[in-house]
Parts: sequence; structure tokens; C-alpha cells
Amino acid sequence: MALKKRYAFVIDPARCIDCRACMVACRAEWNTPAGQTRIWVHSDGPRGQFPNLSQTFVPAQCHHCEDPWCVSACPTGATFKRDSDGLVLIDEEACIGCGLCVNACPYQARFRNLETGKADKCSACFHRVEAGEMPACVATCIGGARLFGDLNDPNSTVSQAIAGRAVYRPINDQVNTRPMTLYLSPPDASAVQVSPSPRQPVPAETFWHTVALPVVKAAIALAFGGQALAFIFQLFKGENEYEEA
Amino acid sequence: MSREKLTLEEREALRQQTLVKHYTANILTHWFNAAMWLLLLPTGLGILLGKVYPFVPEAWNNLMNQIFGGLAPLIYWHSIIGQVWFFVLIFNVFFGFRKYFIPFAATRMFMDKDDWKWLMIRPFQMFGLKKDKELPPQDAYNGGQKLYSYLVIFGTVVIGVTGLIMTYSESIPTSLQWIIQWAMPLHFLAAGLTFAGVIIHVYMGAIMPEERQAFFSMFNGKVNGLYAYLHHRKWYERKMAEKAAWEDHYNRQLAQSQPPADAEPAPQGGD
Repeated sequence: MALKKRYAFVIDPARCIDCRACMVACRAEWNTPAGQTRIWVHSDGPRGQFPNLSQTFVPAQCHHCEDPWCVSACPTGATFKRDSDGLVLIDEEACIGCGLCVNACPYQARFRNLETGKADKCSACFHRVEAGEMPACVATCIGGARLFGDLNDPNSTVSQAIAGRAVYRPINDQVNTRPMTLYLSPPDASAVQVSPSPRQPVPAETFWHTVALPVVKAAIALAFGGQALAFIFQLFKGENEYEEA
Repeated sequence: MSREKLTLEEREALRQQTLVKHYTANILTHWFNAAMWLLLLPTGLGILLGKVYPFVPEAWNNLMNQIFGGLAPLIYWHSIIGQVWFFVLIFNVFFGFRKYFIPFAATRMFMDKDDWKWLMIRPFQMFGLKKDKELPPQDAYNGGQKLYSYLVIFGTVVIGVTGLIMTYSESIPTSLQWIIQWAMPLHFLAAGLTFAGVIIHVYMGAIMPEERQAFFSMFNGKVNGLYAYLHHRKWYERKMAEKAAWEDHYNRQLAQSQPPADAEPAPQGGD
């Protein structure tokens, strides 16, 4: 049996100059509405005192987590983690744009597309990847800050890039979704900018779990149990053909 | 039910009588509703992902997905069937408002003291308790049926409206996204509670031997006099009075329209 693919982004912030060609390539590939983007280049601004200034740019996108909270929030499975390669994808035809996944993502990697009304995010250009190409942002990154590939393949660019290097996953004490983006920079630089923060579930989601599901379960159990008991009683009692109509 | 007060002859005489319990339009609406539920419930449960919102086993999600060829077509057909269901019901209520809905709501839905008393006794009797308690006389619908009618009407409205919200969610702006978010659990809650009622409705209407007449009345619209007398005494008496008044009126009209010379005994009414 062929080994399953385990796609990951490997990002080296030291190589990013904030040219944002990746963001242009992404928009060209996906025609994202103006004002919205699937990928970002974060920066917390210059550090230090003039003239000793430094600045780090941290490219980011959906991390295609191994434990994706967005998938655990979607009521229908319209957003799912693909079994064959681990990509977290959205079935747009099935999505009703409720936004529970948008709220669930601790990286704010998702948004509701203004034009389609559906959930939207980086799909790792799955159609390009399936055809053996790199995602648009990776293909266009001339600095080599963005890399993409199969971690299960020791010869892939990502496996080669992280070999012998310390890698940083954007997680913290509160959130560990096992993101599949590995950063090649010292944690302190990227930690500030891509650190996840969990958000409270929306009231409707709490209502799902604390009211709707338990109440319906109880009502159906009661109704079914009641009629089953009544039927058993009926079996003991028998039927009186002269008395009844 | 004062069964002991009737002799065998009286029972036989009552059995010969026929009363119209349901109009044809109501029977058609009932079975249309039932057929749509048979399609909508399994598909709806197939959409709700059991892995995330634990209600149905994942196998059910897979079965429905496989039958319809995926999640998107499953949702598509659920919403198509749902819209047919809701619009036909609205159509029927709208055009049948005067002749069907108002009479139904006016004579079959208001709860009175006897209905509440009935509710305190009848459910226990189904399990062999409170045997010595006398059931108060009931109208065309008993207390349980009346309560169920509220559940069905309320459930239908909530299911239909929330379903339409989800079907046309694309046109709801993101600032009003909470409407879509609330539509989902409310749709589930209304469908779940209504279905809990349906379980009891099906048992009492189709399985309980005492209510066998009620089951067949949903096909031919009729019940016999004994059933009406035993289970819906108030309705039986009202129907008998109505019938007598109608006959009286009819006979008088007939007598007026015919010349006195040809006067014959008025035909005896019978339906």
C-alpha cells in the first residue's frame, strides 16, 4: 500500500521580504473578492532603536491542521480533512456559509467570501498539487520563503528543507491543533505574529450542544420508550373485538 | 369511557352509523405531509454530521451520501423536497383557509377543562394505571391530539422558515450571519420535537387496537358511530344534533317546494 501523503507548508521568514507576490498569485489563482485574501504576510513592525532596526515578515495561510477545529465545528462535513493527503478543504456546494468554521479557526485563516457567501480559505491549490505543481504562492515565491510538499517523502523539498533544522510550529499553551505549517525561524520572531488565539463558540453553537441535541435526544427517547412500553402492555392485555368499535 | 352503559344491541346499532371525521383535502394533506417526512427525515439526518454533532451514527451519513452521490447533492435534494413540502402546505392552508383551516382551528384545537382532565388520565391508562378513573367526554380531537396539533403547526412553521433561511443563505450578508447560525439548531430542534410527537401519533393512530377506526378514517374519512360515541362523545352528540337540524331544514324546504296535493312523507335522511 502506498504511503499516504502528508502535505505541509515550510516557511522561512528569514527569506521573506514582504514583496507579497504570493498574495497576488493567490488572488490571480482564486479570484478572491477585493478586500479579502486567503493568505497573508504578517509583520509586527520594526523592532529596536534607530539605527539598529530589524523587521521580520511571516507568511501565513491555513495551516491544514492535523486536528482542525474548523472541521470539528462544521455541522455537515462541508469542510473536511482529505484522507489521502491531509489537506483541509471546503465543499462549496455543500457549504451554507454559517461561519461556525470561521469562528472556530484559532488562526483566523478563514472568512466568508463576500461574493459566494461560502466559507473560504487557502486550499493549498489542490488542483495544481494534484497535477504535480506547487501551490500558486509557493510557485511564485522567488525568495524561497514559501515551500510546500509531502513530509512523508524524504526527498520532497519540505523534507529536505527541515532536515537538521529546528522547526517551529505556531502553537501555544492554549491551542495545539497540530498545524502543518513549519516555520524555520527562531520562535520569538514568528511567535508574536502567528500565535493562535481560541475564540468563544457563538451562542447558536452553544445552543446546539447544550439545548438542541440533549432536548431532542430526551424527547425521542421518551416518546419511543413510551410507545414501546404501551405496546408491550397491549401485548399482555390483548384485544376485545366486541367492546371496541 | 362508559363502556358498561351500552348493551350489545346498542353497540351494534351505533356500529351501523357512519360519521365523516376528515374531509378529502385534509386526508390528502395528511398523507402528503407523511410522505414528505419519510423523504425529509432520513435525508436531513444524513446531512447532520454525527461525528461532530453526535446524533446519528456516521454510517447513516455515509449511507445517505452514497445514495445521493455526495454531500452536496444530498443537501440539494433535501432542500428541493423541503421546499415542495412547505409550499404545498402553505398553498393548502392559504386556499383552504376559510373552508378547512378556520373550521379545523375553531372546533378542533381549543383546549377545554375536559381535555386537560383527559391528559391527566389517558396516558396512564395506556400502561394499565388509573383504570378506575372515568375519562371525560372528548370533542372531535382529544386533549392529546389537540396538543399535538400545536406541536405540528409550530414545528412546521419553524422547520419551513429555518429551512428556507439555510437554502437561501448565500443572500444573507455576513453581518446577519447569526441568522444562519441559529437556523440550524432551531431546524433540528423543531424537527426533533415534532418527530417525537410523530412517534406517539403513529402508535396511537395506527397500532393501538382501540383507535383502529381513527387509522382507517385517514383513508376514507369516516368513523363508525360506536367509535365516535366511545372516544369523542361531545363530537358525536354535536354531529347528531347537526344532522338532525340539517334534516329538519331540508325536509321543511322540500315541503315548501312541493305542492301540498302531492305531499309525500319526507325522505328519511341517511349518509
